[in-house]
Amino acid sequence: MDTQNTEKIPWVEKYRPKFTKDMAFPTAKVGRQKVDLIEDLRKFVISFFKEKEKINEVNRQIRAHNRTHEEKEHQDEKKLPLDKAAVLLEGPPGIGKTTIAYALANDLNMDVIETNASDTRTKGALEAKLRETTKSRGIMDFVVQSKKKLILIDEIDGLYGVTDKGAVPTILSLIENTQFPVIMCSNEYKTSLKSLYSKIKKYEVNSLPDDEVMKITRKIIVKEHISGISEKELELIIGKNKGDLRGVINDLQGISQGSLNKNNKELILNLNRDSKEEIFSLIKNLFQNVNTLKEARNVTNKSDVDYNFLYKWVNENLTSYIRLNSEIANAYENLSLADEIFGRIRKNQYWSLLPYFYDLFAGGVVLSRKHRTHDEYFHRISFPRFTSTGFFSLSANERLVVEKIQKKYKVSDIEVVQDFIPFLKLLSGTSRKQLKELSDWFEFDANEKKLLK
Amino acid sequence: MFTESPIWRIKYLPKTLNEICGRSDIKERLMEFIKDKNFPHLLFVGSKGIGKTIIADLFSKEFLGRFYDANSKVTYANVPLTKEEMKQARSEAYVSTSKIGSIAGKKITTPPFIRIKIKPFIQLKVLGDVPFKILIVKDFDSLGSNQQAFRRLMEIYGTNCRMILITTKVSKIIDPILSRCQVFFISQVDFLSFEELISTIAEKEALKIDKETISTLYRITAGKLSNAIDLLQICSISGNDIDVDKLYENLSNSKNDMVKSLLIMCFKGDFRKARELSRKIQSSYKFSSQEMFQIMLTEVARLPFSTYSRITLINFIAEADFRAIDGRDTDIQVSHLLAKICQFSEVM
Repeated sequence: MDTQNTEKIPWVEKYRPKFTKDMAFPTAKVGRQKVDLIEDLRKFVISFFKEKEKINEVNRQIRAHNRTHEEKEHQDEKKLPLDKAAVLLEGPPGIGKTTIAYALANDLNMDVIETNASDTRTKGALEAKLRETTKSRGIMDFVVQSKKKLILIDEIDGLYGVTDKGAVPTILSLIENTQFPVIMCSNEYKTSLKSLYSKIKKYEVNSLPDDEVMKITRKIIVKEHISGISEKELELIIGKNKGDLRGVINDLQGISQGSLNKNNKELILNLNRDSKEEIFSLIKNLFQNVNTLKEARNVTNKSDVDYNFLYKWVNENLTSYIRLNSEIANAYENLSLADEIFGRIRKNQYWSLLPYFYDLFAGGVVLSRKHRTHDEYFHRISFPRFTSTGFFSLSANERLVVEKIQKKYKVSDIEVVQDFIPFLKLLSGTSRKQLKELSDWFEFDANEKKLLK
Repeated sequence: MFTESPIWRIKYLPKTLNEICGRSDIKERLMEFIKDKNFPHLLFVGSKGIGKTIIADLFSKEFLGRFYDANSKVTYANVPLTKEEMKQARSEAYVSTSKIGSIAGKKITTPPFIRIKIKPFIQLKVLGDVPFKILIVKDFDSLGSNQQAFRRLMEIYGTNCRMILITTKVSKIIDPILSRCQVFFISQVDFLSFEELISTIAEKEALKIDKETISTLYRITAGKLSNAIDLLQICSISGNDIDVDKLYENLSNSKNDMVKSLLIMCFKGDFRKARELSRKIQSSYKFSSQEMFQIMLTEVARLPFSTYSRITLINFIAEADFRAIDGRDTDIQVSHLLAKICQFSEVM
């Protein structure tokens, strides 16, 4: 009975370390400095309670003072600085960010209050769940010394704009008033959380090194009496998961449990959890490894990258892989036709043309190359920096300059930019005296003068 | 305190209609309008930078006299509406039921440009002792199909407001508009007036310039006064004597020359550098690809190519321009053109 039960638990949960000493040792950095993550967090939690106690003591006095004094002599209550009340762990999935919080709590004999992406995290819901924590002590605390708590806000990058509305300000105010330390976890940088990032300490947790993963995997293999996994297969699993320990354990369980025939085993081994290829590797793959149309189609079909962008990347990086002018011309012949087709698709909704677009911008470009350059493996993939919007627009700074010029000289925006400013640049480039005279007359400030250089 | 502009082209801008260089026939006609205190809608046609706007502006200034500020407006048809203006346009797009007293709200289908920039001005009453207001619309051709909206406006509000439409391409103006306007073709300044003006400037700025240099100046700037004066000022910095060599030396930075050097770079066969340069040109002058192609077209005609290669190049440019109309990313089309020219240079 007991064995049946444990078999049903995913191994990930079964082997989740209870204490920090059992963990695979994660490394992290703050800014650019390497730190000992576990030790740092422990210090953070302990010092939090110390400081909080001090502040609570001070606040108690202030409140007593406020009670006996008139309103204008009231003092504000003190608050703990945000960076001492909360930390953020950021890193790829499966490396133990959540685990470390639980293990730490166990080490220090604390409870964990967790909220994760499966909860609705609107302002109201968050407040309801965490309200208790912002009060200094419950009534029962006078009778029994209750366990201290650790607040874990997991998967914070899973906060969604509409459904989790108002979550970020709530979290911020929670951190401000909290009586317990807060640990937040996230997978990636998100701009919507910017206001959070600037105020608290951020640990960038590195993915686990392969030998660390190997050590733990071997422990599990011994404990579960697994046989029939060769050393090579083990390496394959670990290699493809790229430091994601959770992934490794899941794969291991998948392979060793039940009766799998050889084909299924291969399937798991070859299945790439990270199916979405990054655009960089995709472009590299496209130019370096593709030799047939079929391969080119494979690459574009597999990717989740928005095709709106993909063909612009092809445009930007084409020249580092294709060198001969005749081949460049052929490649561009296809790429420009693809662009035209894409424009017509978008304009007139001719979606039946889409297959041509794909073939032309991927296969059509790559396969116009007959000769490979020998140094193609060393090229950096560059971002499509140049965007031509097709119509006239000015940046805010340019707009200011143009408006100042138009005060003195009435011509249209386009004439100012295309005709007049180039002339001013020439003129002010000849001598400092000219520049000063010009900018005095147009009343340019130092910032706007820069545009003339 | 009023100080004189350090920039000659502003310093020597004509201040009255009479001061305008050349074009005596046009000036005469406009003077008659002023004398009669009446004129029909006008359409000014002429190439870029030739002085259409300044003629229209000075004419309306003299026509309206001291009521000029209240009764005239200049709009640019090719400048897109700002965000606030678009917002305003949207908010006015529906008339609520309470206003018109019917059950359903009424949707107004006038184009936003007309509704925001034109109508409020032409519907207002004339202020002061003048027969009507004057509206100047620049780059009228870029309105495209919105020109249709002007047909009725010109008739309904014609008594209240006369329009001066300015365009570079008469072929893009629809016939109904043409039939409602008196068309003025504004040509290049004739050489005699050009010479006269340049000589007076030279005299005032203490420059030495001979007749031959002036005629070169006239040729290379294609009679565009503002460019000619600019060139003159740049030349004057390195000394008061101006000769032909100096003109050519300082010419090399104009936008046409940048495009020319782009073409030459393509003919050297270095595609990467050519693309780098073309992007630089496009971003510093804020050219659309279409403008680039236009300038390339004129430069191809000027460069010393054989007839065959000229036609081939024009074919390339035409194809790129054609594809850029439907395409989404004009940079690809420009790159395509450059790549083709690079390839062609190897074959030649």
